[in-house]
This record gives sequence, structure tokens and C-alpha cells, in this order.
Amino acid sequence: MSAGFRDCLRQLEDAGELLRLKRAVDPRHLSALMAQAPQATFFESIAGYPDWRAAGALLSTRRRLALAMGCSEAAVATRFEEGIRRPIDARLVDRGPCQEVVLIGDDVDLTRLPLPMMHVKDGGPYISATLVVSKDPEYGRNVGSYRMMYRTPRETGIDLVSSSDMRLYYQRALDQGRPLPIAVAIGVHPFELLAASYKAPIDVDEFAIAGGLHGAPVDLVRCRTVDLEVPAEAELVLEGELLPIGWTADEGPFGEFSHITGEVKWNPIFRIRAITHRRDPIFYVLQMPWENDWLAAPVIEAAGLQALRIASVEPVAIRAPVGGCCYWTLVASVKKRPGEGKNALLAMLSVAEVKLAIVTDDDIDIYNPDDLDWAMTFRVQADQDVLIVPGARGKHIDPSVRAGALGRGGLPTTAKLGIDATIPEGVPRSHYERLRYFAKDGVRLEDYR
Amino acid sequence: MSPLAESLAAELSARPRHFGELVEGHMRTPWREFLLAWGELRAADVLARDDEGRYLIRTSR
Repeated sequence: MSAGFRDCLRQLEDAGELLRLKRAVDPRHLSALMAQAPQATFFESIAGYPDWRAAGALLSTRRRLALAMGCSEAAVATRFEEGIRRPIDARLVDRGPCQEVVLIGDDVDLTRLPLPMMHVKDGGPYISATLVVSKDPEYGRNVGSYRMMYRTPRETGIDLVSSSDMRLYYQRALDQGRPLPIAVAIGVHPFELLAASYKAPIDVDEFAIAGGLHGAPVDLVRCRTVDLEVPAEAELVLEGELLPIGWTADEGPFGEFSHITGEVKWNPIFRIRAITHRRDPIFYVLQMPWENDWLAAPVIEAAGLQALRIASVEPVAIRAPVGGCCYWTLVASVKKRPGEGKNALLAMLSVAEVKLAIVTDDDIDIYNPDDLDWAMTFRVQADQDVLIVPGARGKHIDPSVRAGALGRGGLPTTAKLGIDATIPEGVPRSHYERLRYFAKDGVRLEDYR
Repeated sequence: MSPLAESLAAELSARPRHFGELVEGHMRTPWREFLLAWGELRAADVLARDDEGRYLIRTSR
């Protein structure tokens, strides 16, 4: 059996990274309290919701992400790559704690869950920690993560504006006038969320990637009202269907992972047929933007490493900086041969929606902004080392793509920028030899205090 | 509609508001009760949005 959400909470607590709050908290205050806590937060009592506890901000720092992944902070990308390289198929089991309580029909009522208020301008309370499972008759199972906005006790909005496999599944169902059944697991291990964040080829089962990360199969149970499977260890599951109405229902604004409030979007509606949960459930509030950002980091970094290797460029280090929301920017150092600065840029700019890529040589510490600035100052000639790719796939929540001018369901494009901050061809490496102080190793400051 | 749902509708008829502004004015109301009333407004299909994402009551269909 693979680890679950509660195992992650235990890992964080053992490392001193979990703060327990004992006093009852109104769900409207969950996010604001988490934003003040230096650690992940566990709410032992929720006012008005005696059966529920809540937890959040589990992965709001690179350190906590690394703890959850069981590796060093520098190794999150390579750790994630291991999961991709060694997938382990999920295992179907007869029963799981996520179905200890089953609510169907008239018993379905989202207002019985401690739905949190997150940001000042949000269009409603949001469910942010979702693992959404869907199926297509031709392509098979897909697992992704999509935010959901409360609408009524049995309906939520869902953000399906961006390109994704599930958007394709929905479009195919919509073309036939059919709803798309989905199941939403909340409160799963970060490995499942990481796998869901990965833009896997359409025929790859994200649960197998999660299994690769765990080193053990993810146990799945069949849903009660839809022909789908969800992690048996989940805290809570919503079963239902995306209505065949297209991109017609208002959704948002929401505090996006770009750290700004998005616009109202036009999206489908999720109608819920069943709610199942544990007998003593914990509601996971994925704290925006930080947890979303850090969940993206290993995925984007690993994709960058893969792209570089496919381009026959040898990477030394890679980083998706939090300033680019761990998503839009990639910085890499490489062991460069002539021409490979540009090859590296072309590879890195092919990753997802990365719109800024910087490549340096292996003597630059890409985690040190001063070192990176130094490389960009002295190794870059703007007329030779800057690459601009117009009209590539963009993302709505980047205000500069002007998504507001698109029609409903429209997809934006973006320009991409690459900066080759490797030593230019024809310039000897010796020209970049750093200053060294005379006799530095021969004297010690302590001896002169 | 429940009295709370009618009260929310009246507030939105007076001027457009972000959802958070509505919530702020009803912090003494139990959260579940508020969400049920909001669900009534949604189900009644009377809500519209302005360019800033604020809710308002639709005047014509």
C-alpha cells in the first residue's frame, strides 16, 4: 500500500513543520490563519463542522515539498524523474477508507463540508486540493487537478479553460451531447498531486507515475455512482459529471498561482451525485499560491531536464524559480559544447508554458541570483544571444496574453524569450576566470582578532 | 427564497459586490446557512457579473 495524506502530515510533524491549532476555527478564517503560520497548519476543530478537521499549506516551501518527497531540496526534479521512469500500475482494491461514509441522492450537500474562503476577490469558496479523474473511451483514464468553486449544495464551477487532456475528453463528450463523468479525490498524498500536475502523454496513467514515486502501487477503489476509480486512502471524494453545457457558466475570479487575482472565466458546471469520505475526515485546503507553485517545480524542472537530454545537452542543474511561480521560468546550467547554448534554449522553451528560459555554463551557481546576473551581464550580447519565439501556447492567467479579448473557450498564445548566458563561441573560458585573493589560503582571519 | 437569500439579493440589487464583501457583512451568520442561501440565489438564476468579477442581480433575461 502506498503512503497517504496522513503519512505526509506525520512526516511534516516529525520534522517540526506542522503547527496544530486546537481552538475551533471558522472555515472563513482557515486561509488567513495558514498565511500567518510559518509551518503547515492542522486545524483540530472547525466551528460548525464537528465531524471535520482541516489541514493546509503542506507544501508551501521547497523544504516542505522535499520532506514530503523524501529527498533534498536540490533533488526534487530528479526524484520526480524516477517516478516517471519507473511507473508502477495502480491496484484495484475492494474497499477503502474514502468510502467509510457514503452520501447519495438527497444526502449530497456540499455545505456540510468546511469549504474555505481564501482570497478577498474570489467568486466563492473554493475546493483547491483536487485530484480529478476522468475517462475517454479511446484514450483511457486521465488524472488532473482543477479548482472548483461552490455554486449550490450539489454544483460547483470548475476551471477547464486551459489546454489539458480532460479538456479534450470534455470536448469529445460535449460534441456528442453527453456529460463527462468525473470523480474528485481530496486529501491525497502529494505524489498523486505531482503526478496529476505532470503533462503526461495522453495514454499514460498518472496513477502509475504516482506509484513510481511511492515505489508501490496506488490502491484504488471503484466509485459508487460513476465508472471511475479513486485513491482508496483519500479523505473525501465527490462523484458526478460535467454537464454538457460548454464554456457557459461564470467561474472565478480566483487567487491564481500567478499570485494575482484572475478574471471571471466561462466554464462548465460539475453536478455532484455522491459524496464519500472517511469517518473522521480531514479537509485539505491547498493554500494558494504557494502550494500550487511548489507542486509545479519538480514537474517543470524534470520536464526541462528531459528536454535537455533529448536535445543531447548535458544538464548540470535546473531551477524553476518561485518568481516565475515555478512554472513560467526555467534556469539551467549545462556542460556546453559549441552551439549548445541555443539548443538548450530551444529545448527548455518547448516545456509546457515556460516563457522565459536562461541557460548558463556549469561554473555558474543558478541558485545564486548575483552569479546569474553576472553571467547575463558578461556572457550575453543581446543581438546574438536572445531568442524570441512568437505565437506559442500561452496561459489565461498571465495578464500579458490579454485573455480577456478572447471569446468564451478561446485559447491564448504567448511569445517566449530565451537568453543564452553561456560563454560565447570564440571567447576563451580563461577570460571569465574569477578574481582570487593573493595568499587567501595562507592566512586566517581568526588569527588576527 | 429564504429571508437570508432575499437579503443577499437586496444587497446585490443596491450595488454590485464581490462575494467576499457579501460574506464580510454576514460574519455572524453560520457559514453553512450563508452558503445554503447563496445556493438559492444561484439556483434562481438571477446572478450576473460585472467586469471586475462582482456579482449583481440581473435585471433582464
